[in-house]
Amino acid sequence: MRKEHEEIFLSEYERKELLRNRIYGVLPVLAIILLICLWFAASSNPASKFPSPMSVWERYLKILEKPIKDLGLMGHIWASLKRVFIALAFAWLLGISFGILIGWNKKANALLGPIFTAFRAVPPLAWVPLVTMWFGIGEFPKVLIVFVGALMPVVVNTQAGIANVQKEYMDIGTIFHANEWQMLTEIAIPSALDAIFAGIRNSTSAGWMVVLAAEMLGGKSGVGFLIVRGMDSGDYPLCLLSMICIGVVGYLLAIVIQFLERIICPWTAKKSN
Amino acid sequence: MSESQYKVEVQGLTKNFGSLKVLNNISFNIKKGEFVCIVGPTGCGKTTFLNLLTRIYMPTKGDLLIDGESADPKKHNLAFVFQEPSALPWKTVEQNLRFGLELKKLPKAEINERVEHIIKLMGLEQFRNSYPHQLSVSTEQRIIIGRAFAMNPDLLLMDEPYGQMDIKLRFYLEDEVLRLWKETGATVLFITHNIEEAVYLAERVLILSNKPTTIKEDLEINLPRPRDVTSPEFIEKRQYVTDQIKWW
Repeated sequence: MRKEHEEIFLSEYERKELLRNRIYGVLPVLAIILLICLWFAASSNPASKFPSPMSVWERYLKILEKPIKDLGLMGHIWASLKRVFIALAFAWLLGISFGILIGWNKKANALLGPIFTAFRAVPPLAWVPLVTMWFGIGEFPKVLIVFVGALMPVVVNTQAGIANVQKEYMDIGTIFHANEWQMLTEIAIPSALDAIFAGIRNSTSAGWMVVLAAEMLGGKSGVGFLIVRGMDSGDYPLCLLSMICIGVVGYLLAIVIQFLERIICPWTAKKSN
Repeated sequence: MSESQYKVEVQGLTKNFGSLKVLNNISFNIKKGEFVCIVGPTGCGKTTFLNLLTRIYMPTKGDLLIDGESADPKKHNLAFVFQEPSALPWKTVEQNLRFGLELKKLPKAEINERVEHIIKLMGLEQFRNSYPHQLSVSTEQRIIIGRAFAMNPDLLLMDEPYGQMDIKLRFYLEDEVLRLWKETGATVLFITHNIEEAVYLAERVLILSNKPTTIKEDLEINLPRPRDVTSPEFIEKRQYVTDQIKWW
């Protein structure tokens, strides 16, 4: 630990290195500025129908004044997020349990593994016709489709994590005479937590993608609905605005998950801190 | 079963993998509280031998007795220190030390007492709440040694625990293990390919032969402790063991 107030002497080389490391903080900002410049350039040609940053900004101000279907932009984002959160809660609960079952128990894997692998190959959106036939176009079918999309990554990652516990950790269990249950709960599950978290990360981004697609198929709220609405009425700034929101929310979700992982698995933090 | 004066008795231990003879009729005894080193050339079946003791494999012939009974990991208290440091990365130092005791479902007070004792003995106070990845290899190895001694084992098996370490660290940890051994009165079986280490630590050195492995010699080391690795008596013993290993 270095004391805060201590004068630190740096050589020329070290100072340059420090400067070089700072670039990593600057580069992302640079990329965003560059992207916006490109956007201006692309939309400056009047022949292109591409909405300009200004028109998107104006569209944003307009939606603040005039909600669409009684919901403001935040309202639509929240409507989508709510579906994702409900679906994710069930997907994580069921997915982790099922992943542990087929990752740990060879018989369960032999019995259910192949079915699951085939099931996994079906994209979540392929379920739309059947789900619509059974449950109509209300709230439940949307959540169900998101659930299907979010379930797969959790199961796959959990199963892989549990089935591939490093032998040396299992040996520690053996040496201390852990019984089967202790092996699972004390060794296999903790050591698979980072794999499980990879599944949780993937399922969150998958869920966020699938909800938008599910909303595009019918409904009166959500960011996916906004995109369809923009498309139907030729309101392309609205489409672009929604896309930006999707990107930003997706990014924030990823950060939240990363933060959660730090709290739940502090040991996965790198040695450097 | 008659009261045996030996803690551990190995009787005619033989292990074949198919047609490959790895261990051939190994017999020896270890008294309670004794520190025994096993040395032998690399690839002489040391690991197989250990795996037999821990019952990861079952022997082809012969048996291993602890207190006169066939060794049973469920009943007897065997502790093990691996070659590679392997503390559980998701547990803190203290949780790692508690691990084996908690699996055994010992009373909480007893666990606290033993773990505190070990933490103090090994000077791990300041690392109590650290995770293994935050520690140096030597500190991690101290956790593992501490974890093994905390079990109050009938027999502590150590498989080249210092194989990967630099010489300063090795000397330090060797003294550490001797101190723990004296404090706890544990029976230790220490496997190494480092002859100096064996002569420094052991009360008795068992010299193994090449495959199929047998015990070539059972050598008493009655040098006073602390031992001086530069004394003529020490060097003489070390040279003797070296010759035994080289001479086929």
